[in-house]
Amino acid sequence: MDLFNNLGIGFDAALSLNNLTFCFVGVLVGTAIGILPGLGPLATIAMLLPLTYSLEPVTGLIMIAGIYYGAQYGGSTTAILVNLPGESSAIVSCLDGHQMARKGRAGAALAIAAIGSFFAGTVATLLIAGFSPILAEVAFLFGPVEYFAMMVLGLTAATLLAHGSFIKGVAMVLTGLILGLVGADVNSGTYRFTFGSFSLTEGIEFVAVAMGLFAFTDIVTNIRNNTAREVTAPTLGNLWMSRKEAKQAAFPILRGTMIGSVLGLLPGGGAMISSFASYAMEKRLSRHPEEFGHGAVAGLAGPEAANNAGAQTSFIPMLTLGIPSNGVMALMIGALMVHNIAPGPFVMVSNPDIFWGLIASMWIGNAILIVLNLPLIPLWVRLIRVNYWILFPIILTVCCVGLYSIGNRVLPIYFAAGFTLLGCLFWRMRAEAAPLLLGFILGPLMEEHFRRALLLSNGDVAIFYQSPLSVVMLGAAAIICVIVLLPQIRRGRSAAFVEEA
Amino acid sequence: MFSTSNGKADLEAGLFFTLFGGLTASLSLQYQMGTIAAMGPGLFPFMLGILLSFIGLVIFVKGLLGNGEIARNLPLWPLILITASLLVFAFLVLTAGLAIAVTAQVVIALRASEHFTWKRAAALSAGLLIFCYVVFVYFLGISLPMFAV
Repeated sequence: MDLFNNLGIGFDAALSLNNLTFCFVGVLVGTAIGILPGLGPLATIAMLLPLTYSLEPVTGLIMIAGIYYGAQYGGSTTAILVNLPGESSAIVSCLDGHQMARKGRAGAALAIAAIGSFFAGTVATLLIAGFSPILAEVAFLFGPVEYFAMMVLGLTAATLLAHGSFIKGVAMVLTGLILGLVGADVNSGTYRFTFGSFSLTEGIEFVAVAMGLFAFTDIVTNIRNNTAREVTAPTLGNLWMSRKEAKQAAFPILRGTMIGSVLGLLPGGGAMISSFASYAMEKRLSRHPEEFGHGAVAGLAGPEAANNAGAQTSFIPMLTLGIPSNGVMALMIGALMVHNIAPGPFVMVSNPDIFWGLIASMWIGNAILIVLNLPLIPLWVRLIRVNYWILFPIILTVCCVGLYSIGNRVLPIYFAAGFTLLGCLFWRMRAEAAPLLLGFILGPLMEEHFRRALLLSNGDVAIFYQSPLSVVMLGAAAIICVIVLLPQIRRGRSAAFVEEA
Repeated sequence: MFSTSNGKADLEAGLFFTLFGGLTASLSLQYQMGTIAAMGPGLFPFMLGILLSFIGLVIFVKGLLGNGEIARNLPLWPLILITASLLVFAFLVLTAGLAIAVTAQVVIALRASEHFTWKRAAALSAGLLIFCYVVFVYFLGISLPMFAV
């Protein structure tokens, strides 16, 4: 079968000693950084991205993917042990995971999280391998009109699902789109918004944007925030789950994997929404809903499986269509572009070793995660207890050297400083920064497809509602906007978030 | 803009987006607009800028009507010190060398936390310097001078 052939190519590429080592290092470092309270996957990947630039494309991507899984799992560990979610997707893990930990079942909670994630990761990897070629076929039918419509829908949905005010999210996407246009215009070669500086002709370094908006802004806003950090980790208890717990976890893991796999595929979907959905579902299905929030095994197992499945299947639209469904995928696209690979349906054909190698490495990464993390839990616990005043200078310096290393120049560091100011301003104004990053990555692409579509139609805007696919996607985006902007329904939405959180 | 009284998140955000959109639109005017069928480099950013400033206005009005979100208080000293530490590193790393840049960055950044002591700053810089040398210079082969002349 094709599927196994392809996976064979992938495992061949991923299982070389070199790639395996970097996958291992990626998972290890990703977990170590992701475990630090306050550092979510976005900040972690932004921080470690420059390290992978000097590697071969396959190796680099495999390492980044490893960092991603590590960071994701690290975030859950922190959530379970100290009740501090590193990122929104870990909020749900706090609810019952931390309660389990307080009852002396921290070890079991971590084991359930790891096993749930591994199972979900395995299923999701198979799904990616099976579905990507099909979706890529569809993507080949996409013209500029459909691509443009798809991006509009993707950005709208991602903004809807990001935290905070929708309209500010839209403004952030637009800001990102504009910032992404800095540099040489593809069609005419004109340098736009470079203010006469030659170093800006290639655009603003996106790692500088990501570090400034996420890693450095986090530092500024957390530095004086000592109170929340002085939670001591509870004792681990037995590092294995009891038979009863295993039984309670089995079906939630299965259901969580299904929910996560589906939701991860949607534009704007991914880890966060999957874990929320799974938690809500488990609570409804449970015969003991009153246990939820007090250490229910199902309330941890389901969401943990769901967020890992969602995190993984959100690779599918990114790899086949080149459209990021969330901030982490935007970073992944940036990383691909650094290695001169334009994400889209062509990658599978032009670089099969990269495409299938990455997919195989997802599974390997998940396997390493489970082998590595359970024995190392005592180490992670000690890492959580490290004082913030030791951590943040380390993060700063490592990021700075990393920024310099991207092109052996200091300019990206100055930019990161600028984006730190901007990021803090956004933080004050309660404008979520992730939509900006999505816009930033998609800016040039969106403009290109928009211009090409109108060139094809000879300037007739009607082309956007002559293709049925485009009508469906633009219509969906419009419906989202209308629904969210109707005030009564919006109030209902924030209430729903409060209920689930 | 940075007053500590609250209820201003949307006013400030609206103002920011309006100004940024307006700035983008006006800067785009210097590039060719072209026609809808054959767009010049200026048209797309111009459209984005106009759209952004319009949305900014909506957010601003929402803030004026009292439906705005509460602004968070910006920790001013940490913001200044962390940003300064980045700028100082960028400035010093090639002119004075990695050793001096790292030390300067750690000293400035650590002042942002309440836990600053010279001893801690010294220990941290020394450790970081060794780490950066081993990982970046030795393993990854990035050319950075320890001390620049």
